[in-house]
Formats: sequence, structure tokens, C-alpha cells
Amino acid sequence: MPTVSRRALVTGVTGQDGPYLCELLLAEGYAVYGMVMPGEVVPPEVPAAVHRCEGLLTDSASLQAALAAAQPEEVYNLAAATSVAASFDDPVAVADVTGLGVLRLLESVRRSGAPIRLLQASSAEIFGGAVTSPQDEATPLCPVSPYGVAKAFAHQTVQLYRRSHGIFAATAILYNHESPRRGPGFVTRKITAAAARISRGIDDELRLGNLDAVRDWGYAPDYVRAMHLALQQEAADDYVVATGETHTLRELLDIAFSSVGLDWHRHVVTDPGLLRPAEPVRLCGDATRARTRLGWAPTRDFAAIIREMVAADLDRLNQAALPAAPASPAAPRREGPG
Amino acid sequence: MSKSALITGITGQDGSYLAEHLVSLGYEVHGLIRGQNNPRAAIVRRIVPELHLVDGDLHDQSSLISALEATHPDEVYNLGAISFVALSFKQAINTGEITGLGVTRMLDAIRVVNPATRFYQASSSEMFGKVRETPQTELTPFHPRSPYGVAKVYGHHITVNYRESYGMFAVSGILFNHESPRRGLEFVTRKITDGAARIKLGLETELRLGNIDAQRDWGFAGDYVRAMHLMLQQDEPDDFVVATGETHSVRELLELAFGHLGLRWQDHVVVDERFIRPADVAMLVGDASKARRVLGWQPTVSFSELVAMMVESDLRAVTADLPATSAPAPR
Repeated sequence: MPTVSRRALVTGVTGQDGPYLCELLLAEGYAVYGMVMPGEVVPPEVPAAVHRCEGLLTDSASLQAALAAAQPEEVYNLAAATSVAASFDDPVAVADVTGLGVLRLLESVRRSGAPIRLLQASSAEIFGGAVTSPQDEATPLCPVSPYGVAKAFAHQTVQLYRRSHGIFAATAILYNHESPRRGPGFVTRKITAAAARISRGIDDELRLGNLDAVRDWGYAPDYVRAMHLALQQEAADDYVVATGETHTLRELLDIAFSSVGLDWHRHVVTDPGLLRPAEPVRLCGDATRARTRLGWAPTRDFAAIIREMVAADLDRLNQAALPAAPASPAAPRREGPG
Repeated sequence: MSKSALITGITGQDGSYLAEHLVSLGYEVHGLIRGQNNPRAAIVRRIVPELHLVDGDLHDQSSLISALEATHPDEVYNLGAISFVALSFKQAINTGEITGLGVTRMLDAIRVVNPATRFYQASSSEMFGKVRETPQTELTPFHPRSPYGVAKVYGHHITVNYRESYGMFAVSGILFNHESPRRGLEFVTRKITDGAARIKLGLETELRLGNIDAQRDWGFAGDYVRAMHLMLQQDEPDDFVVATGETHSVRELLELAFGHLGLRWQDHVVVDERFIRPADVAMLVGDASKARRVLGWQPTVSFSELVAMMVESDLRAVTADLPATSAPAPR
């Protein structure tokens, strides 16, 4: 155990990954500061030991204040407008938070003069329309949504600050990662919540877009471990974090519904209105670098993740006096400051 | 019926050339101008008297919507940017705001006001940065090396995204360096031609430069604005590299500029580390085959003609600025 505790600042602490990362950092003995938006409701998943400080990625002065308050050795930028689908509705706001927000944060780090290490949560969406599969750290960026375009800006900005300003700024290029804490607007959670509700007779139908959509889905607690490892290296770099396996929504439906003894074909309705304007083709990550250099490996397989999510949704139904988990497509929500 | 166009970055080098070109084609041309009493408005008005100026700022999306509603353009040319690479390192956030996010603000304003408006985005060879292949084409991956380059990559990607996701006629012209007598003095070409003219007239004795081995593909701005217009006249929107396909070093530029005035650059040029960029880009040279084939575009001014044109212009400008009584004799 380190004698002097290290300090970390985590943005986007109220999203899916934030609480997992905070738990990991607290277990490693860090003093953890979570950046929240002014007035933001902090969900119970965020550990009580996390110190809160206010800040907005759209406001440089607030970022400088958050850095001054937390005095971190490590900054984890998880904040973003995370819904790909919603990014088509307001590309300007998405760019301001998800793209420019990272630039503001890096400038604040640079101006602080402190030897701060920064981890940027990049996304597989930066590869969106990639012509090669699987993708690795050298695959050319080809984003196909306003979200992906903003994440690509953030990714290249991190690389620029690493090279031109010598800042220890790393990226974790995260492929889809799920957990019982996934927001209800995401398709995995939408399916597991619906399977739970339908099995209880609360709902009968689930509306989905493209059932042939293919993703590389991993387990969120595994992925925050990779983020932490990326900042413990001698030099900053980019790391694809992925399972290297792809599955279709049909497979996901099979696992989720069969785990509660249902046949999804009887409940799922495809709705063209839920199709994205531009659907990425085949996103599958090659995490060789993370495996070899970070010693990282996923601990949960796809079926286990989905079953865990369905079980958690059933638990929530059991615990709630009234059904709490939304089964209808909720408005895609923001998972972080912005 | 004559077409109309709205140009952002109207006070820049390309803005005035494009406005002149469109006016010559019978367009009604509007230029977006920002700020109060912008001193460069008078300059561009003098160059293009037919130009209409309209207020607006790439920082402010509602001002863009107002400008579009006021001018009803058939075509929008987004040339507005913080375009100087060295400044982009000092004002990285502002560069992201204007050069990057400004593109989205304009595209989204068009989507709101009239999505049938055709949109041209001025992309840049600086997007290629540390190049993986030479020459660069429309398919070469981007590895930008400056805040300007990163912001331009963003602008390019979001332009393609609006085309593919919203079905808008939005195109990106990947323009390699293009120069002219109207180039700003902060750019190396103009700094050299202006410096050579001043040295010739005895006003200066030395010229301080950064990396004189840097190589670029330099064309004439007047040629490049023709390509911008052609891109918006096609049946289908697409992206095009616009370049000469030739590369020259700053050293060659010095030879031509000083040589044109009968001077030896070696007698005057001092290499100054301060002007070397934090992360200089490697060999940029564009392959404009697609623009030549599809648009029927080609450059008309050679590199040596371009440098001579700029030196002559600077010599006239510097001479005109001299007080009549104290004009030193040319060296």
C-alpha cells in the first residue's frame, strides 16, 4: 500500500463507468474527486467516499477550479453526451461537450503546470465506418455520427497534447461495455429491462431498430480497469479495449429472453423509426496492445454479462413497490457534465 | 435567375478571390462579416464593390440562422477559420470553436433554414499532418499535428456526416497551400515576398525564418477558388483534393523571390528557432487527379509565376507606402 494516498479526479462520475472506476480507485487507496454538474443529482451508485466538486466541460474556468480543488495526479475524463442516436438531434451541443470539452480540460491541465496524467475515454464510434475489421490503434478514424465525429476530435486532441506539449495523456478506445448499471436508453439495457418486465407480465412488447446490428460488447468493470492500467505505464499511449468478439442484437435477445424462459420472437417488434441515420458496419476491437502491455483481459463473457443484467433488472422489479425500470425507449440521456 | 452565395471568411485571402469569381459568373454574393466596425470590411469592399455584407459570427449559431434567412443563398462557402497554424497552438480552444465547431453551427443552421442549400467546407492539407503516404488523396488517413489540423479534421468529418446522415449537398475541398498577393503577412510565402521587397528597397536587411527545409505543395489561390465553385455544380456531392502535385521547399521559394529582385537570400535570411513549429508536418503533396478528371479543374499559374506575381505586388505596395521625399534608392 502506498503511504501517501494518490488523488484522482473523475469526470462523468454519474454515468455507468464513473461509479465502477471510483470503486476501483478507492480500493487502490486513492482519494477520489468526482466532478458533477452544478445541480446534478448524484445517483446512489457513486460511492459516498467520493469527494464532489462542481465543473462543466463547457466552462474552462470551472475545470481550472476543479483541478485546483482536487489537486489530482490522475484525471479520468468519462464525461460526454454519450447517446449516439441523440447526437443527431443536437450535433453542436455534442461537439461542445464531447469534443471541445476535452480540449478545454487538456488546456486546463497544461496551464496548471502540474504533472497530471489524463485518461480520455475514447470510443469505438471513432471508427464508425471503418473498412477493416477488427480495428486497432492504427486504424484510420472514420466516424459516422456527430457523437463519433466529436469523439474523434477529442481523440486526436489528446494525441496532439501528448506529442506537442509532452503531457501524459492516454486514450482508452472503448468498445461497447455494459453492466447492470447501463442507462435505460442503451439497447442492451433496454432489452434486459424489457425481458424482466415481460417475464413479470408488466409489458408485452419491445420495439427495436436494426436487429442485425453487430457490436463488440464487453463488461464495464473490466473496462475501467484498463483505464486505470493505462495511466500506470511509463509512457502514455492509445489502447483499444474490446473483447474481439462480435454478437448481433438477435443473439442478445436470445440470451436475455431465454434466461427468463421466453421466446423473444413473440414480443419484439422492429420499428424503422429507431434506426440510426447512419449505422456503423462492423465494430470489433483488437485489444492486443492492452493485453500484452497492460496485462489486461476481460473477465466476463457475453452471455454472462447479459444474464447478470437481466437478473439485476428482475431484482429491481422485486425490490420496487412499483415497477421502476423503464421498458419503453427512454429519451437518450446524458451521462455526464454538459 | 441568378444564383446567390454566402461566403464566410470573406475578409480572408480566398474570400475575396471567390467573391470576385462568383460575381463574374453573375452571382449575387453575400459575405459574412463579424464584429463591430471590422476594419477589413473596407478592404474587401474595395476589391469586390458588388459584394453585400451581412453580420454574423461562426461563434453564434443564431446569427448564422439570421444571415441565412436574410440572404437565401443557393450556396454557402465556409472559408471562415482561425487559419494560421502557429496561432492555433496559442489559441487552441478558440481554434476548436471557430475552425471546428463553427462548421457544425453553419451546417446545422442550413439544416434548420433550408437543407437544399449547397455547402462547401474549406478543408486543408494540414489534416494529413504526419503523412502515411505521398502524394495524398481523398482516401489518405488524417494524422493532424496542430490544433488547426485537428479542428479541420473535425470540420471535414462533420461535413461528410451531414451529407451521409441528412442527405445534404455538403462537400469538403481538401485544399493544399495556396498563395497570392493577398495572402496574410503571417504566412511564410508572403513573409518572404514582402521581406524580399523591403530588403530590395533598403528598408530591412534581414529576414528571420523557421524551418527553411519545410516542403509544401503551393498553388495560386485564384485557381483554387474555381475548384470550390465547381464542386458545388456537380450532380452528386463529393470530396476533392485540390493541389498542384508539385512540392517545393522554402529554400526554393527564397531562391525565386530574392532571385527575382537580383538578391542572394543567403545574405539576408537568418534561421530563428522561435519560428519552428512545435510539431512540424512532413512532406505534403496532393494528388488532384480526381478534381482534374471529375471537375475538369487544373491550375493555371506555376510556382515560379506565383512567386514572381507576389514579389512584384509587394514591391509595388511597399514602394507606394514610402514617403515621397525619403524614398531610398533601390539596392
